[in-house]
Amino acid sequence: MIYQLTVPAAVPGVEEIRILEWHKEPGAAIETGDLIVELETHKAVIEVRAGQAGVLRQVLAQAGDWRTIGLPVALFSSDASEELPSDAAGASAMLVEFEVT
Amino acid sequence: MSDNSIPIVKRMFFREAIAKAVREEMTANPRVFIMGQDVGAFGGSYREFDGLFAEFGAERVRDTPVAEAATIGIGVGAAAAGYRPLVSITYMDFMMLGFDALINYGAKSRYKTGGQLTSPVVVKTTAGALGQGVAHSQCIESWLMSVPGLKVVAPSTPADAYGLMKTALRAEGPVVYIDHKRLFPIPGDVPMEETAIPFGQAVVHRAGLDVTITSHSFMVRVAMEAAKKLEEAGISSEVIDLRSLAPLDMETVAASVGRTGFLVTLEEGQTTCGVGVEVAAQLYERIGARPWARVGALRAPVSSNPVLEPACLPDAARVVQAVHRLLGR
Repeated sequence: MIYQLTVPAAVPGVEEIRILEWHKEPGAAIETGDLIVELETHKAVIEVRAGQAGVLRQVLAQAGDWRTIGLPVALFSSDASEELPSDAAGASAMLVEFEVT
Repeated sequence: MSDNSIPIVKRMFFREAIAKAVREEMTANPRVFIMGQDVGAFGGSYREFDGLFAEFGAERVRDTPVAEAATIGIGVGAAAAGYRPLVSITYMDFMMLGFDALINYGAKSRYKTGGQLTSPVVVKTTAGALGQGVAHSQCIESWLMSVPGLKVVAPSTPADAYGLMKTALRAEGPVVYIDHKRLFPIPGDVPMEETAIPFGQAVVHRAGLDVTITSHSFMVRVAMEAAKKLEEAGISSEVIDLRSLAPLDMETVAASVGRTGFLVTLEEGQTTCGVGVEVAAQLYERIGARPWARVGALRAPVSSNPVLEPACLPDAARVVQAVHRLLGR
């Protein structure tokens, strides 16, 4: 199954974030609790951690890129061999936990 | 072919635009220094001075206690002694504590001394309501516009925050530079080449034919939202961001209302003796009578209560309503 990681609405009033740093690369196996990416808001940094296991398949936004809340930034799959869709719009949301630091 | 190695603009947070301007001016002029609460290691109350303490040190980035009267007073005095202080007052409400020093000494020294003493201090302060209650929400820029010798500016975008701060730190002061709590989350493109924006220059954010809406600071975004809604109702709005409140760019406003025929002024502060009435009065002096209306906060202190606060403040719906009523359609 394919999952998309969308920018969480973690901080009230924030509409847009900047990708700070990816902590996993495409191909990496993800366990629950793993730090996937850090996002920057005007006030604080958000640590996005996996809420489920899977494989990171594709990064859709690089460090320094800006993304609006709700837009996808990465694709995951339960299985490393699953074929990626050309359009990820229908993919389920990847479960994540986020911490505002 | 353009040079691809240096970007012309860079998208950044509002606070980063301020930091960029301050860094550039502190590098260019050793007499620029910062004073205020949390400006040092903390990087600024809104992180707008991030990195400056590490770069310039404690001599030039000075933390002060919670003592706005003293901080503003020292800033005014240091400026008169030849420095260019940037005094950071986290909440515009507490500028009131420094009015005597800023107005009676800062703004008036040029007049009192026949030009021998001037006080080029920049008081940077953050206005606006964001759930923090009656003494941490005020927009009192209209109180300052009438002070002879005082300049007042209010950016609404990161690019303007950058450009106006550069000018402020070079200006014949004193200057009050007003940003807004609700502007900090909003990123925007800022020129990478050093660019100052002169005072006394408004900017048209949206061209229109049927009505002119003037505003400043965060309310410019509300005006743009209202303009979008009005477009759907068949009314074309011209939205002007004043940017500079003292001096006001009445040439741009008058040219606009001369074409549209109607003026709606929008501010987050009180409409009584507000920014809007000054714009309307000066417009009348320039081009004669035109129908106009003012939109601002209701006549009450802005509560932190989550129901009362939005009820008190202007929103796009209220602006749309005012335009419909003014135009009679």
